[in-house]
Amino acid sequence: MGEGIVFDEVSKFYGEVLGVNRVSLHIPPGITSMVGPNGSGKTTLMNLMTGLIHPDRGSISVCGLSPRNPESLMRILGYATQYDAAPRGATGFDFVSAGLLLYGYSAEETRRRAWQALERVSLTEAAGRKVAGYSKGMRQRVRLAQAIAHDPEVLVLDEPLNGLDPLVRAETIAMFREFAARGRHVILSSHVLQEVDVISDQVILIANGMIIAEGQIRNVRDEIEEHPSQFMIRCRDASRLASLLFDMEHVAEVKLHEDRQGMLVLTRNRREFSLALTRLASSGSPVESVMAADENVDALYEYLIGGGR
Amino acid sequence: MNLKFRLRQAGMIAKLELRRVFLAKRSLWVYLLALFPAVVFLGHGIDVKLDQQRWAGRVTPAAVLDSIERGDSEDEVIRRAGDPVSKRRYRRGRDSRGSTFSYFDGQRRVDVRIEDGLVASKNVRAHVNFEEDRQVFAGFFHYFYLRLAIFFGCLGIFMNLFRGEMMGKTLHFWFLAPVRRDVLLAGKYMAGLAAAVTIFTTGALLSFAAMLWPQDPAAVQAYWQQQGPSHLFWYGASSALACLGYGSVFLAAGLLVRNPIIPAVVLSFWEGINGFLPAMLQKLSVLYYVESLTPVPAPIGADAPVLARMLLAPAAPVSAATAVAGLLGVTVLVLWMASRRIGRLEINYSTE
Ligand SMILES: Nc1ncnc2c1ncn2[C@@H]1O[C@H](COP(=O)(O)OP(=O)(O)OP(=O)(O)O)[C@@H](O)[C@H]1O
Ligand SMILES: [Mg+2]
Repeated sequence: MGEGIVFDEVSKFYGEVLGVNRVSLHIPPGITSMVGPNGSGKTTLMNLMTGLIHPDRGSISVCGLSPRNPESLMRILGYATQYDAAPRGATGFDFVSAGLLLYGYSAEETRRRAWQALERVSLTEAAGRKVAGYSKGMRQRVRLAQAIAHDPEVLVLDEPLNGLDPLVRAETIAMFREFAARGRHVILSSHVLQEVDVISDQVILIANGMIIAEGQIRNVRDEIEEHPSQFMIRCRDASRLASLLFDMEHVAEVKLHEDRQGMLVLTRNRREFSLALTRLASSGSPVESVMAADENVDALYEYLIGGGR
Repeated sequence: MNLKFRLRQAGMIAKLELRRVFLAKRSLWVYLLALFPAVVFLGHGIDVKLDQQRWAGRVTPAAVLDSIERGDSEDEVIRRAGDPVSKRRYRRGRDSRGSTFSYFDGQRRVDVRIEDGLVASKNVRAHVNFEEDRQVFAGFFHYFYLRLAIFFGCLGIFMNLFRGEMMGKTLHFWFLAPVRRDVLLAGKYMAGLAAAVTIFTTGALLSFAAMLWPQDPAAVQAYWQQQGPSHLFWYGASSALACLGYGSVFLAAGLLVRNPIIPAVVLSFWEGINGFLPAMLQKLSVLYYVESLTPVPAPIGADAPVLARMLLAPAAPVSAATAVAGLLGVTVLVLWMASRRIGRLEINYSTE
């Protein structure tokens, strides 16, 4: 199982709509969090690696198995989806045990595993009640129980902490940790980096169907903090200001406009840059206007690092 | 992962699905369709039995009824044959009035029409006509049971096997189980088939029994000694085989389209124009084979409109062995295409 989960140049379109674009990933064992805003492609990636949808381009392998082969893959993989539905009329126990029979377990083994899974998510008391009558958090947990009941090597969970109260959330996280400690994969998704950063061994930041950053949380944070921003500056004596700016350490690139009345500056540190600009302006440099050239991208990074809204 | 284990998985899936298919609320009208002919023939039987009881004490000797002739007066008829078992009066035009006297000789029913006090006509028919009832049954079977009841019943049962789970957003649970997609398809098909065959063969046998019930016991006895058992068998078998064929088609349709009206229209059009298709394409039909298997050909009145006769008349029937083989061939072909399709199927609940 050492190969991990590998995405190789994977693209998925829903008709005209982009799901994910040219994603290449290698996910090692441990807790991996996929973080991104709504519609960024988290569910798409999870559905791709579990074979619920198929890539238009590229290939995927999960511990050496193809997602097109559920007969083998589902023996080592459990997936709690985002879809909040359960078969009509099923009790929590029915719901968890129905799937287990298909693994070939005996009736007794099935019962034992179903109870064990329900116990792990603290749902034994409600096990005899219909799932349709569960609260949102209970439905979340019963889906989790269903995903872990066959003790998979790879656990894929779409927004598993959504709607859980703090106590249950702590228990659930402890369970993830325990899974990961045994050398297994736990892959989860979240809107908010802060929610998962301390528990994750690695994070994958996604926006607009593309991977923005991946790796250990500390590196990713630095990467985000130092992501280059572009500013457009209008001024009279542009070439002099350009050479002053270019000498600064955090400025990566300066592009003079043809009219010599403005320039495009790429910086790795926005705060330093704005301080420097203020200094230059107050010491007599004729700056007329400063504009962020990429406000959307900046906002996105702010969102990812700042905890989102 | 051997074949035996896969078959076991298919069996488990069928078992899990069976309850749902049988007990689904939307299966109710399937039961109604299946039982409708039985109810109609039962109603006919009750009607006949009630008449027989009511008229039992008022039997007129056959010879007397035979002697009534056109031109006899009303008083004469009543004097010789007594009071009729029923008497209906009617008016025709301004000053012509008449009535119909019905007599019963224990077997036959004789309607005597009297106009202006004189016998105008006499109509003799068997009170229960086994021959005729069997023809009516054959007509019911061909035009209602095969073309409507089983057709739409299978549409309801089989299209929902996958489509229902897409609508209910539960299909992904099956796709996340350690089963091949074609095994899932087989399991679901088996569940649908078990339900459809049970419901529709029972319906066919019940209506057959209801048709026989009021008949003259001696005639029924004779029938059982001749074609009876074979008729019964083939009515049951062709119902079951129709479920097999239509089931595969609608199972596949449920994987392709969401709107059940589309396959219903397309397939009934296809079956309708079957007689006009080239011989090669005629073989891609369910009805073509099933009609060949029915024991009594569809009665079609000589006075039916030309178009109706062309559409309803079955193509040249084939032998039973050919028909069964052909039907199995079509079913296997359609299921094979469905299994290709389900391999590519994606979970996509958002777009309706
Ligand atoms: N079935 C679908 N049909 C059409 N477009 C889809 C479908 N599923 C997803 N998309 C589109 O693909 C993109 C990625 O969606 P995805 O569901 O993967 O996002 P997500 O990160 O899981 O979002 P959320 O946080 O809201 O769950 C979005 O633009 C979405 O509109
Ligand atoms: Mg999602």
